[in-house]
Parts: sequence; structure tokens; C-alpha cells
Amino acid sequence: MSSNGRIAPSTLSVKDLPWQIHWDKDKCTLCGRCTAVCPVHAIELGVFRKRLVQTSVNLKEAPSNVHEVFHGIRQKTDPAYACVGCAMCSLVCPNDCIMPYRSDEADKLRYHVNRGGQPRRRGGRRNVPGGILDQIKFIRISMLTDPALDAGRHEFELRTLLGRILPPEENLRLVREEGWIPPIREIYPLMIGAMSFGALSPTMWEGLQMGVAYLNEELGMPVCMCTGEGGCPPRLLRSRFLKYVILQIASGYFGWDEIIRAIPEMKEDPCAIEIKYGQGAKPGDGGLLMWHKVNKLIATVRGVPTGINLPSPPTHQTKYSIEESVAKMIQSMYMAWGFRVPVYPKISATTTALAVLNNLTRNPYAAALAIDGEDGGTGAAYNVSMDHMGHPIASNLRDCYLNLAKLGMQNEIPLFAGGGVGKSGNLAANAAALIMLGASGVQIGKYIMQAAAGCLGSESDRCNICNIGLCPKGITSQDPRLYRRLDPEQVAERVVDVFLAFDIELKKIMAPLGRSTSLPIGMSDAIGISDRSAADRLEIKYVV
Amino acid sequence: MEEGRRLESRVLEEHIQEAVGAGRRFLKVKAHGQHGIGGRLWRAAGETVRIEVHGTCGQRVGSMGFPNTCIEIMGPASDDVGWLNAGAEIVVHGHGSNGVGNAMAQGKIYVAGNVGARAMTMTKHNPRFDPPELWVLGSVGDYFAEFMAGGIAVVCGHQAQDPSNVLGYRPCVGMVGGKVFFRGPHKGFSGVDAKLVPIEDKDWQWLEEHLKVFLEKTHSGQLLGEISDRAQWQLLVARSPLERGGRRRRSMGAFCREVWDNELGTGGLIGDVTDLDRSPIPVITSGILRRYVPVWENRKYVSPCEATCPTGIPVQERWRLIREGRVDEAVDMALAYTPFPATVCGYLCPNLCMQGCSRHTANMVPVNMKTLGRASIDAKMPELPPLTGKRIAVVGGGPAGISVAWQLRRQGHEAVIFDMEETLGGKMASAIPKSRIPEEVVSAELERVKKVLPHVHLQQRLTREDFEQLKVDYDFVVIAVGAQKPRLLDVPGKERMIAAIDFLRRSRQDGAQVGKRLVIIGAGNVGCDVATEAHRMGAEEITLIHYRRPPASGEEKEAAEAIGATFRWPCVTKAITEQGVELATGEVIAAETVVAATGHEPDVGFLPETVALERGFVQANAFFQTTDPQVFAIGDVVKLGFLTDAIGAGRKAAGAITDILAGKRPRGDMGQMVDYDRIRLEYFDPRFMEFDDIHQCAENCSSCGTCRDCGICIAICPQGAISRKGNGGGDFEMVVDPERCIGCGFCAGACPCGIWSLVENEPMG
Repeated sequence: MSSNGRIAPSTLSVKDLPWQIHWDKDKCTLCGRCTAVCPVHAIELGVFRKRLVQTSVNLKEAPSNVHEVFHGIRQKTDPAYACVGCAMCSLVCPNDCIMPYRSDEADKLRYHVNRGGQPRRRGGRRNVPGGILDQIKFIRISMLTDPALDAGRHEFELRTLLGRILPPEENLRLVREEGWIPPIREIYPLMIGAMSFGALSPTMWEGLQMGVAYLNEELGMPVCMCTGEGGCPPRLLRSRFLKYVILQIASGYFGWDEIIRAIPEMKEDPCAIEIKYGQGAKPGDGGLLMWHKVNKLIATVRGVPTGINLPSPPTHQTKYSIEESVAKMIQSMYMAWGFRVPVYPKISATTTALAVLNNLTRNPYAAALAIDGEDGGTGAAYNVSMDHMGHPIASNLRDCYLNLAKLGMQNEIPLFAGGGVGKSGNLAANAAALIMLGASGVQIGKYIMQAAAGCLGSESDRCNICNIGLCPKGITSQDPRLYRRLDPEQVAERVVDVFLAFDIELKKIMAPLGRSTSLPIGMSDAIGISDRSAADRLEIKYVV
Repeated sequence: MEEGRRLESRVLEEHIQEAVGAGRRFLKVKAHGQHGIGGRLWRAAGETVRIEVHGTCGQRVGSMGFPNTCIEIMGPASDDVGWLNAGAEIVVHGHGSNGVGNAMAQGKIYVAGNVGARAMTMTKHNPRFDPPELWVLGSVGDYFAEFMAGGIAVVCGHQAQDPSNVLGYRPCVGMVGGKVFFRGPHKGFSGVDAKLVPIEDKDWQWLEEHLKVFLEKTHSGQLLGEISDRAQWQLLVARSPLERGGRRRRSMGAFCREVWDNELGTGGLIGDVTDLDRSPIPVITSGILRRYVPVWENRKYVSPCEATCPTGIPVQERWRLIREGRVDEAVDMALAYTPFPATVCGYLCPNLCMQGCSRHTANMVPVNMKTLGRASIDAKMPELPPLTGKRIAVVGGGPAGISVAWQLRRQGHEAVIFDMEETLGGKMASAIPKSRIPEEVVSAELERVKKVLPHVHLQQRLTREDFEQLKVDYDFVVIAVGAQKPRLLDVPGKERMIAAIDFLRRSRQDGAQVGKRLVIIGAGNVGCDVATEAHRMGAEEITLIHYRRPPASGEEKEAAEAIGATFRWPCVTKAITEQGVELATGEVIAAETVVAATGHEPDVGFLPETVALERGFVQANAFFQTTDPQVFAIGDVVKLGFLTDAIGAGRKAAGAITDILAGKRPRGDMGQMVDYDRIRLEYFDPRFMEFDDIHQCAENCSSCGTCRDCGICIAICPQGAISRKGNGGGDFEMVVDPERCIGCGFCAGACPCGIWSLVENEPMG
């Protein structure tokens, strides 16, 4: 602040910001990389005046003033330029002299990120670390019973089913009568969840798809990935890799005309169709791809003109009741591929999930139900939606599974869980916990961004600027200057690493259960928690 | 068996141990499924003990066997033969079951048939002893050699259980040491753990030699010829830790080329819908790939001093000239903007330029413009262009009129000033207290203009008819008559008041009469001027009253306070009496002289109706054009203001008239003022208090918005991307090499003048 500067209500000091840049003058070589790389211009070159008062020994001579000028890195305090803590400056610094540190107290910035009456919007996910999934332990370690298996030595076939599974007698009857049997896919229980072409950069999206193709074709792991709502590149639609792809249809219907036109030319059917009704990270809210991100490429893939806002409303326009909407939508999507492709809805976790599920049990076409919990991520949403709205996945999934069990249909409609799986890095443990609570498989989004592309986001509100297209890692940007930082081949390689490592960890959890070929779906006697209330709520063992 | 009853394993073990302890060295056991027969025979103290097992042996024959022990099982063996064997030799004259040799560390096991699953698993080789050996005449079962950590296994493949696979399902998983010689086909092994290697001569010699021993022990010598064909043998060894790179698989690069692009087409997923280069780039980029680009915005923005000067003098330009040693040019430059640089800038102006100076933002004293103003008394007249034939009548010879006429003449137009006074100068010449400015300064500057500006001395007030005639005779008429008519309070005794303008005119000629006590109604700056002049004329008790907080400010106020004038407020005048001023409160402020400094208003009775008025003043637009397009109005007749406001209005009006005469639209306002935040004052001494001369001023000027040519940007650029390019004639520019620049913005951060700006690069894609 200048010496005669005034304060306004939103005048903040560095101390008031969530992230403080520590800069070491002695080590800095003034190379300019930190200011060049900072995505939000939080730092700039500063001119500093240093004053030395020189006095002589015994005060023999008159004291004097000497001024020196030096240059260094200064952090801006304007809320519009507040540091987001991404630490790209530290990454590029050749002398390790700059680093953002999290403020030691609640920042004051949060009270000033509503300029113009517009509440804070951001990307990322709930700024709440931890969660119930991390607390669940696997307590059934069979050494001599079951019998135990050796994760490293035994062969496992980790597969799950996506599709409506008929009771055996029903299935046999239909086989005899040559009736229609719902299509079922045997897939890997860890899926890459919906992230659109547009929300993700082209390099990131291609990297994920390439990794998935590699897992399928080189390693025999039937991993699939959902497109999200942003269309699907024409080449992918016409390639054999489409069979690893779950096409998503959501309220914006982007790119669907291109998909429909590609159907006659498809070499393979897609893995499945996901109908998105809600997103765990921002339940009840829609999406918006800002016009400035809708460049030529995005526009082509989404089948829209360039430079317009692309809203995905919170609701579909032509659906008026749960029975009608789900049935109508599922029918339409089945019909598109001649009833050969499983179709399932995805909803955000909510207290109304049971109503949806009960409806699906009565719909013989419903292939599955995917539930996205409150810890899921998003490219852009209101902070209030992200931090305060939504339902934890564990109890919601559990309720659904137990309800199916009550109906005796737990083996008929698979449940897929997502939303913060692996949010603390414990991917396999979280996934296994969800599976034992009743999930047939889990979906991941932000985890794969972090693991496969080095996403810097965290529950401590680090980075989280996916919404403004300035992703410093090039994951969620449409600017070639940013997304070319990301090499699709390297992303693909990391996807492979993640799945291979996950596979080993999941086996480590499954082997002591003596399971090698069928997932322990709903095997809740194998899990426990040291929280009595949570144990009661989830109907799992209470262990201390 | 003992007495027709089967002995328990525990009892049989006791019998065997006792027998060995008693010196027996050959035992025959008729077994009936007892556990662990023949192990642990250390009581023989190193002497060889031979045991023949007849019947049906139980599990773990020879377990924990000692090197002195030789066991022959005369038929097939149960599970885990030689379990944890520490040196015993065990011959099985039949098939072996599961787990043969599991965890053995020394000793030899010879099996005359096939063995079951998990043979030779978890075996060790202690370097202190010979490695353990397992010899199998036929084939081995599934999961052979799991976690094998040492020893030698030989699988001869003779009459294998599955002739198509002598090694069983998934052998060698977790194998870290040892060798497996085998003969016959196999269906794969754990490639991560083991590898096939050629059989060296030394290995073959060993095998050939020991094969004879094995066949002898198992009474199968006749097979030697069939089995010892070197070409039929293969050797598996464990991979060393360094060789374990995990499963070999196709690289992602190869997958991308051979599979991905092959299926999708060149350019991968979106190669058909975009031609944008998507190849990887570094984080720090230059050229077209920079996110931000520095722009040298020299003179794009107006300096605060220039922007705040109503006359619009580019003050920082003059300091630049002085820094460059071109003092004369700096001085002369003033006349391009004002005919009164010394009178106004040097003395009478409140110097708004200094109030606007960026240095205030750091609480530093502003660059002192007065010094340069005063030096401008010596400014040389520029050469004037020949007349264009266009003529403009200027009504009023005060600062506004002179300014517009001066500027018009500089453009080659003839401007004729019509004024009631004998000499030009208006209030400036007639009503400014002498204390404020030496008379010779004003007269010198007036002389300068008089030389070039024709002046018609009007003998009587202008009439509407006269004005209409001016419009006919001249291309344009500019009204600059000022605000001469005192605005007097309408109170009883108002005739006792003297108007301030009259008082000041008289006092300037030293002709004002004042009493001892004097009240000035209206405590503005004119009131202050009256106060100081009255003091000079001999008044002793001077009071300025105002109905609200006095608006006086600056030098005028200081001067009035210095002579001891009293400011009183709020005071509402009710009447002027012989005693003095009677206030609404009833109080009377005694005074012999009462001066009304309550403002002036224009006297514009001569204007035609086409020139619209607003509350007594002439209406004018931003170019000072009135509602009559041929008529302009400037100065106090439009709005009361400072001298510099009048001079600036004259300059702007002249510019507009010149533009219109040239057939152009009048140019708009000057550019936007530079943002104070862009100026870096850290380069200057904050303790600097007073300017002694123009050179000090020039040095301390940050040159806001105009490049100071200091070279800091060239020096600070980490990439050495900035250079100074001379454009001839002293002109220059700072240029950036895009191929070196990384867009760090250091130039913008370091520039004292706020020239550099970091802007977003052109959008891509």
C-alpha cells in the first residue's frame, strides 16, 4: 500500500489471504519464471527501497541516510489476484526460494470473494478433508478359514457386471423362449467417471482414453471411462475403442447429434449409456461452459457454434415425473443401439435416492444405478453447492444396497458409487469399502486427475481454479499454451500405473477374504469402524 | 505296527529315536500313515542311519532331516516329503504327492515318478552348505517352485502325468534363486521371476554326472540313454533383482503409434477436427507460446501533472528536456500552451499539476513547477506562421481571451481582441494584489503577447448589434468577457459595500481608501486578496465572514492569516449600517469599510438570444462552443475558475476552431491519465524536502507515462530480451525480442514511469 493509501472494506493485507508467498531474497536470482508461470498473477516484480542509517563509532561523524533499491517478488493483495496456493512458482524456481504457505488462521479473503454480488465460484471439490470411507477397516483377515489367498501369488479376476442381471430361472426361461435378455458388460470395478471433453483439455482427455485403451488391449483389464457431457470426438465414435467408452447424456444434450449420426458407422457398441441426472459435487445445480472456453475444437465436438455459453441446466426439460422420466429416457437410449447397450441413470447422492432405486427395480430395462456422493469434484460450481450441499456416499449407497437386499434384488441391479473415492489417496481402500458396503464398482474423477496428470487441487482450497480455464497443469484448460504442458502419452502411462497399482492393492484387501474371482459386493461382515454411530448407521461392525 | 496295532506317530518317533540312540544304524519301518518318519536323527552323532519305509508312509517323511540320514520310501509318498529338510537323502520309489521338498534347505530328494503340486517351493540355499536337490523322474504338479530361493530341481519328464506340460500350471511364481533343469514341453512359467538360459558345459557335466546317480538310486539306470540327450534339456534360473523390471509390455509411445493412431488416424483422437499443434511444450515459454506479452506503452497515457493541469501543459516533457540538457527548449515549450508561463505557473496558479503529482502517493513533496514557471519569463517567442486569412474576433482581453487569440495566431489565424480596457490582461493586470506577483513579470509577459495580438480598444459597451456585426465580419467570435459584475447581497445598506473587484483595482493603483476596521463579506480567495491589500493600505482590524465554512485556501488564505485577518463563520449578514455589519444574530461587527467579496457574474447583455445562458453564465460544450456554432465562450463567462482554467479553455477553443476551419471534427479530450499504481517511486529519495533548482526537479520527476530512457527495463529483463532502438533524431523505442521474452512482466514491475504493461497474448485455438 502506498504511504498515503486509504483502506476500503475489501483492502486486505498479505496476512489476510489464504496463501502467503514466502520469498527468499538471498536465494532469488530474479529469473522471472515464477511471475511468468503464476496462473492468476498473484505475484509480480516489486521495487523495494532499503534505508540504512549510518552512524559512526563514538558518533564522531554526523549520522547519515543511505538509500538502496532492490528488486524482488511481491505478492498482490487485491482479492482478484489472491494467490491460490498452486505452487507453480515453487515448481519452476531454480533456486527453491519461493513457496506459498497456507495461512495459520482462517483467511479474510473468504468474506470478499463476492464482488458485484456474485458469490464465489470455483472448481475442485468440497474443502473438507477426510471422510468416513477412510475410517473403515477391513477386519476379516482369514488366515486359515475361507481360505486365505496370496495377493501376489494367486490369480485374481477382478471384474464386475454392468447391466440388469436376471434371476437364473428367469434367464433360463428367456433363453429357452429366445426372449430378450438385458445386455451385460463384464468390466473392471474401477471406472473413470464422467468428465467432459471441454471440462478437460484435449490432451488430458486423449491421455485418459489412450490409457483406458491400453489397459484393455495390452493388459486385458476391461476398464471403461465415461465421456461426461461434452460429446465424443467423431474418430472415437467410429473406432473400436468405443467399446471402452460409456457415453453420457445429460441435460445439455451436447454432441448427441454427432453421436446419432455416427451410429450407422460404429464398429463397436459403446460400453454403456449413462443418463446424468445429478452430480455429487454440486447437487441440484447445472453446469456452464463459459463462452470463452468454447473454441473451435470444443464447438466441433459438441456440435455448437464457437463463442457461446453452453449451459447444462440442473434439470432435463422434458421429464416431469420420476416414473416417466426414467422410463422414457432409458427406453430411448436402449432403442438407439437396438437394445444391445446397457443404460443406467446417474444421480447425486440424496435422501431421495431410494425412491429412484425403487423405481428402477420395477423397470426391467434399468441396467444399474450410479450414485455420486458429496465429495465428488467438478470443473465449476458455486462454493456453497460444493461445500454445503450433497449427501455422503457411504450411507446413501448402503441404504440403497440394503433396500435391494430387502427386495432380494441385490444381485440384479448393480450400484456404482462415486464422489471422493480416494480423496485422501486411499483409492483401493475406499473402493473396497464401498464395494463391501454394496457397490458393484466405483467411479473416480478427481483422483485420476491428481494421479494421472498432477492436478494440484486439495481439500485445503489449493488451486481450485478449473472454472476459469487457467489450470496450470493443463488439465482443465482449453488454451494450448496451458494444455500443451500435458503430454497425452504420459497421462496414459500414469493411468496404466494407477490401475495396475490399484489392482494390487485391491487384491491385498480381497486375498485375505479368500476371494479371487468374485468381488465381495456387500460383504459387510468384513468391514468395521471405530465409530459407534457410523457402525450403527451403516450396519457394519463396531470395532475398537 | 506293534502287536497288530498301529503305533501313534508320537510313539513311533520315540521308538525310532530310542533305536538310533541305542546304536542302531539301519531301520525298517512298516508305516501306517505316521507323520514325519525319519527326521531329526541327530543322536547318531554323525554316523549314517539308513531307514527303509515300507507300507504307507504319512506326511512329511524326513522332515527336518539330518545330513546323516538316508531314507528310502519303498512306494509312493504322501505330502511334504523332505519338509524343512536340513540334509537328509530321501529316495521315493513311487510318485510323490504335494509339497515335495517344501522349504528344504539341504539334502537330496529322488522321486522315481511324478510329484504333485507345490514341489520345491520356498527352498533355500545356505551358502555354508551344498544346495538342496530335488530329482523327479516324471513331471511336477501345479505351482512348482513357488518362492524357490535356492537349490536345484531336475525334472526328467519321463512318462509325465501330462505329456504336454512337465512343469505344471504357473511354475516359478516368486522364484528368487536356484535352477530348474527340465526335459519336455511346458506351458509357461512366471517370466517376471524366472528366465530360460542356455545350458553351459559345466552345468551339463554336472547334470550328466548326477543323472547317473539319480537313476541308480531309483533303479532306473536303463533310462540313461533316453534321458541324457542334452538337446532335450532346458534350464530355468531365477532373475536377479536387477533383472526384474516387471512384466515387459509395449511402451506407451509404441502403443500410441502402432495401436492408437493406427485405429484413429494420424493425430489421434481429434486429428481430424483440428490442425492445432498439440505437441508438448515447456512450462516456461517464449514467443507465440508466452501467456503474457509486455507492451511498451510510451505516451499512451497522460502524466498526472499534465492531466490535472487545466491548461494541459505536459509538465513531465519539460523535465525530460531539462534532464537531457535542453533547458532552453524546456522553457520555450511553455509558450506552446500558455502565453503566461511565468505569471501563472510561476506565481498565480495554485499549480494543480503539483497537487496531482504522483509523488504525493508516497507522501513525497511534488516536483516544484513554480521554479520552471518562473524561469519561463525568458521563453522565446516561437516563429509565427503566415496568416491564413481566417479571422476570429475575441471579445475580452483577459487571460482567456489572450489565450485563445495566442493559440489561434500560432495556428496562423488572425485573432482580434476587443476590450474595454486600454491594455490587455483583464483581472490579471488590474486586480491581482502586487504582493502576489512582481509587476514586471506580468508586464513582461503582456508585452510579449501585445507584440503579436491586435487589440481594439472599445470605447463603449458592446451592443447586440455590434456583436451581430462581429459575426458578419469574422469567421468566429469568442466571448471571453469574464465575470465582472459583482454579485452583491440584497440587504439593507448594501450601497455601503464596496465590490471586491473595485477595491482590488483601486488598491492596485494604491488608491483604495480603508478604515481602521474592515469587514469582508465572503471569505473566499478574493476575500483574502482584499484582506491582504487592505492591510497594505492600512487597515488594522480585518474580519472575513462567511455564511458557512470559509472556502479560502492556498497562498491567499495563508497570506490573509499572516496579516492577522480573522475568519468568522457562520455569519449571515442582515444589514450594513454605519456601525458596520449587522448579523442575523443581532450582533454588529464594527467596521468603517465593508467589502463584498461574494462573487461575480458575467455581464452578457450584448449576447443575442441564439447564445443560450444557464443561470447567468454562457452555455458551452466540451470545446467551448455555444449554442450558436459560430460563437465560442471561454473563461469565467462560462464557469468561474482559476486563471489556468481560463487559459486552458482558450487553448481548447482555439484547437476546436482550428479543426473546424480545417474541415475536421474537433479533437476530443486528451488521453486517459496514467494509473498511479504503475509509477515506482522507490527509486527516489523520500526524505528529499525542497527543490533548489530546475535540475533537481527534473531528476526527481518519475516521468509518469513517458519513457525516462533510464534503461532499467533493459537491465532487469532476466532474458536480456529488451533493447533500445534508435529511430533517428533522438527518437527511440524499447523493443522486445519475442523469442527471448518469457512474459514475466519484470519490465512492467521495475519501470519507474509505468510505461510497460503486461497484456494477455493473442488467443490461440
